[in-house]
Amino acid sequence: MIQDVIRGLIYFVVLVLIQVLFLNHIHFLRMVTPFLYVYFLLKLPYDISRNYMLLIAFFTGLVVDAFTNTPGMHAAACTLAVFCREPMIRFWVGKDLPDGVYPSYRSFGFGNFFKYTLSFVLIHHTALFLIESFSLFDPLFLSLRILGSSAMTILLILAVEAFNVESQQSEDKR
Amino acid sequence: MILHSSFFILHFQEMRQLIDFLVRKRHWLLFFLLEVVAFLLIYQNSTYQRTILISSANVVTGHIASLAGSVTSYFSLGEVNRELTMRNGELEMEVIALRDEIEALQAKERPFMGFLPESIEHFPYSFVAAKVVNNSVTHLSNYITINRGRKAGIEPDMGVVSDQGVVGIVTKVSDYFAVVMPMLNPKFGLSCKLAGNNYFGTLNWNGRDPRLVQLNELPRHVEFEKGDTVVTSSYSGIFPPGIIVGTVVDARRQHDDNFHALDIAPSTDFQSLTNVRVLINPMQAEQRRLESEIKER
Repeated sequence: MIQDVIRGLIYFVVLVLIQVLFLNHIHFLRMVTPFLYVYFLLKLPYDISRNYMLLIAFFTGLVVDAFTNTPGMHAAACTLAVFCREPMIRFWVGKDLPDGVYPSYRSFGFGNFFKYTLSFVLIHHTALFLIESFSLFDPLFLSLRILGSSAMTILLILAVEAFNVESQQSEDKR
Repeated sequence: MILHSSFFILHFQEMRQLIDFLVRKRHWLLFFLLEVVAFLLIYQNSTYQRTILISSANVVTGHIASLAGSVTSYFSLGEVNRELTMRNGELEMEVIALRDEIEALQAKERPFMGFLPESIEHFPYSFVAAKVVNNSVTHLSNYITINRGRKAGIEPDMGVVSDQGVVGIVTKVSDYFAVVMPMLNPKFGLSCKLAGNNYFGTLNWNGRDPRLVQLNELPRHVEFEKGDTVVTSSYSGIFPPGIIVGTVVDARRQHDDNFHALDIAPSTDFQSLTNVRVLINPMQAEQRRLESEIKER
């Protein structure tokens, strides 16, 4: 339990710092910004209580909001994405998951993890950019931003997951 | 009564099912609650009353951001350096331009040392201050280019002086530049005299030494000493009389001993010439016209 908390804290700090210090400043083609910090939410243990998960997601979003001066936007998007997380895992992977498993290539299989990541990121980014576009609605630009940013985020997540030492070790233990 | 209680139990069971449902699905409640909070934040943010707590203005995020800024500022040093160099260049050009302007103003204000009036006559010439942009002393036919031209009122045949004395005569004028033929040019000729008497000679240059010009055809009986000052005469109309040309250095006999040829050290230092004044004689045209009428006759 305490191990999970420490692991989560490390993930949280590292990913949020990477997000707010580097990735937030990327505006590829002036519209694509990757949001790698959702990797933290993706990698939360499968069997964690849904209420905790929602609170964690809300808080994570709020911290990122604090750095981007967008109070509530990331919080709302994260909460929504995490709320859909469990049904998504059940839908893509099925119910036969051992307790305490982290989503990873090994535990989910590459295809399932990819589908899980894809849907999670799409939900998060769609919500985020929709909320953001309340002030200025431009459907073409909006969809371009959603798709571009999602593609970039997914690419980053898949790359990070491929090099994530912990994912490979954890599979050996379990 | 029994019926009533059974109904109550039934009702109670329904209530429990509802509560069970709510307890089972309490994450839904939490979800909606959190979303409501988030959207409240979004809408609160859309007004001007921003929450300082959740913004980059609070203590923690501010510190992290400034820390990150101090680190990332090093990455942009190349760009910053380039910009600074550009700015430095711009400022340098501005300094040079301003210095030019100051010098030009000073040249206007500085008392004219090259004028040696014989009486307290009025100095009838006005002048235009100009800067030397091209200069040569090493050729045989030397020319000086100055940065004022027709737009400043300069015309050919105007006299050019420095702070110390005569420089030369304007030969060609464009809109913004003028070419001056200095004393150090064999084609240059100017009527000059020794200060203190009215005997005049012609000033020329023999093309040998830029430190010496020659005053020819000075009558032999004129008395002079080395170190005497040579000034312009009043015959040319180009220069007002009494502008210092130089000082006598040496003398020779000339033309069957009837004339002197004097070596004159120009008072103007041609090698370090920067600021000059172009003398404008409003009467010159009239004098020329009168003289040409006589020649035509």
